[in-house]
Formats: sequence, C-alpha cells, structure tokens
Amino acid sequence: MIRNCLNLGIRNSLSFARTGQPLASSIAIRSLSLKPNFSKLKLTPPPPGGVVGGVNDKLETPEIDFFHGSYHWDYERITAISLIPLTLVPMYGALSSGTLYPMVDATLCSVLLIHAQLGLTSCIVDYIPKRKFGVWHSLAMASLYAGTAVGLYGVYELETSNNGLIDLIGKLWKDEEADLPIFSRY
Amino acid sequence: MLGNLLKRNAAMSVFSRGLATGVAPEAQKLKTFKIYRWNPDKPAEKPKLQDFQVDLNKCGPMVLDALLKIKDEQDSTLTLRRSCREGICGSCAMNIGGRNTLACLCKIDPDTSKQTKIYPLPHMYVIKDLVPDLTQFYKQYKSVQPYLQRTSVPEDGKENLQSIADRKKLDGLYECILCACCSTSCPSYWWNQEQYLGPAVLMQAYRWLIDSRDQASKVRKEMLQNSMSLYRCHTIMNCTRTCPKGLNPGLAIAEIKKSLATD
Repeated sequence: MIRNCLNLGIRNSLSFARTGQPLASSIAIRSLSLKPNFSKLKLTPPPPGGVVGGVNDKLETPEIDFFHGSYHWDYERITAISLIPLTLVPMYGALSSGTLYPMVDATLCSVLLIHAQLGLTSCIVDYIPKRKFGVWHSLAMASLYAGTAVGLYGVYELETSNNGLIDLIGKLWKDEEADLPIFSRY
Repeated sequence: MLGNLLKRNAAMSVFSRGLATGVAPEAQKLKTFKIYRWNPDKPAEKPKLQDFQVDLNKCGPMVLDALLKIKDEQDSTLTLRRSCREGICGSCAMNIGGRNTLACLCKIDPDTSKQTKIYPLPHMYVIKDLVPDLTQFYKQYKSVQPYLQRTSVPEDGKENLQSIADRKKLDGLYECILCACCSTSCPSYWWNQEQYLGPAVLMQAYRWLIDSRDQASKVRKEMLQNSMSLYRCHTIMNCTRTCPKGLNPGLAIAEIKKSLATD
C-alpha cells in the first residue's frame, strides 16, 4: 500500500515535470505520503435494480469455474454422506465395547473439517459476495482457510498426542477427576 | 284454442312474476385493501400504505377486480401492470397478503373483518406503486439463451421431430409465464440478484437443457458452472410454494444440479 502511494507520488511529479514546471518545484512536490489508501475497504453499492450494462443486453455470464460450480456441490454431498457411517461406526464402538479406532477417528475429523470448510465457503459467497464486499470477501475467505489450517493442526494434535475426537466427546459423560478436591465439591 | 290461450297466459304470468320479484338492495360488504403507494414524481416522500374500501357485493371475485375497481372509481393514479386478467400473461404479479401471486388468480378473502395488504414484488426496485423494475430479470432470461440451438437441420428440411415421451419432459416447464413470483420470493435471489439467476430463469434453462431437439446442452451446462449462477440455490423451496401456476422450479433446479454433478 505504501509502495502504491509512493508510485503515485512519483507519477504526479513526473507529470508535473512533463508540463514544463521548474525542476525545483517538482522536487518539492516529490514527497513521501504516509496516508494510507482506504478506498479499497469501501463496499461497492449495488447498481440500481442490479442492472449492469445496457437494459437490452444479456446478463454477463461468469467465467467457467468447475471447482466453485459442480465440484464444490459434489464434495459437499460426498462429505455429508460419508459423515454418516463415519459417525455411526465410532458411536457403535464407543457404546458397545469402548473400542476406539484411530484411523476412523482421524478420517472423521478430517472429513468433518472439509465439510465445514465447504459449507462456510457457501455462506461467505452468499452473504459476503466479492461483487459487493471486495477485500472483505478475500479477508473472510483467508480467515476461513486460516481457521481450517488451525483445525487441521488441532486434528493432528488430537490424533497423535491425545486420544482422538470420539474420546474427547466421550469425556463429557465421564468424570475422571471426581475425587479431586475442587472447592465446589465439598 | 282456449287451451292454448290459457297456456300462454300461464306462461306469461310465470314470466312476469319472475321479473316482478324484487331483489332487496343488498347490504354493503366493505373490505379494506391496504395498498403500497410510492410516486417517483415525489421521491422524497416515503412509500406508504393507503387504505381503500371496496364493496365486495359490487366487485368481481379476484383481487385484480378490486384493484381495477379502485383505479376506476376511487384513485385513478393507482398504478399496476395487468393485461390478460386470466393468469396467462403474468403482468399482475404482486405480493398479496404476504404471498407473491398473480392478482388475477388470487381470490379476495371474503372475511371483511380482515384487511388485505398488497405490495409490489419484494426486494425489487419499484418504478411506481405496484410496478417493480424487472429489467434484471429479463436480462437474466436472455442470458440462458431461451431458444432452440441446433448444428444440423432435419434431413427432410421440415420440422425438428420429437417423440411423445420427449415432449412429455417439457410438461411443467413450458407453462411458465415468467411472472417473477418465484424469483422474487427466493432469499438467495434477494441477496444476490446481480449474479444468481433465480428459480424462474433456471427453470427455463432446464427446459432448454432437456429439450431433445436442442443440441447446445454442453454450452448451456457450462454457463452454469460457477459459484453464482446456479449454486446459490439452497433448496429453500419458496419458489415452488409461491408459484401461481403450480409449477415446481425447485425440482427443475435440482435436476440441473443432478445433471451437472457428473459432468
């Protein structure tokens, strides 16, 4: 952003020089402005009636993008359907014998994360569309990816140094520290 | 002769009695309509709901009859689109009692203790009173190329023939009159109408996709392969619920998604 401003300053002074002003004044003009350019942060209001271009032209068709088109829809369905057995199997294991399957658990965590990522992408495209929100859309998407990355690291931690997601949820029903002298329990 | 005369007399007396039976003047049955008013000539004035009272005993059964009666007798500045008065043209689409429908197909609620509120189609720019700006809607319709596209002409140089089974696939799709009731009832369309095509236009896109005579389905499908045009539909199904012609745009969109899923 600062570089942009600097460029702008130099361009201004160049155009000044071209118009035939004395060199001294153009040097005086060339100053580094630290005022940031906030115009990017502004929202773009929708055009009246949503109409872009001529009223008799057809609506511009967006670029073909399979990943955000049918693939996104497919992955959403695939993850949603595969979550059904991935939750039922550990549930059965936990309820019947208390057996935990680390691979199933890791798969469940990852698929759940991907499913949430895909669903939230849809939410962002719905409510923070690039058309209107510009950089804020990019910011939302970036923070979603960052969140997913942190989540993925969490899954790694959960599966390697801990006992997995199912055990974590199961602990809600177990009170392992029942005999600890916590002040609320006297 | 005498018999004939008697008969004629009897017939006449019955006839005249029929005419003479006086109809007691019916009591007025006043129904209040609250109608959205906004005048572009006075843009600073806020839109308001204006009350009109209509005697239902002297009015046709449909909301359009009441609106025209108001326009004729009470306020000629009331502005609305209407043409065919029988649900074929789709001009008089408006929001009546909280539901997008055609005024000509919507019966007046006979309960006079209740008011009927009439608004223009929701979330559209209003030109005047009950007239919304449908420019974007027509631009979207144009963008799906709603016409037959073929690379080859039939060998006999006459018609593009179609089997009865193939023709049946178009039933429930070709009846759409593009009144925009469904599109303007869709929350996704409210938020993203600059890019999302909306149920009415997508149903027409599907109508051309499955037409056995059309040969451009690859291009038609690729036009929808992006995040906005089609996939802003989240099966909210307001479109199907509101359609005044009883069509099912939600199903058509689901079918498009199904055919795109394996592309």
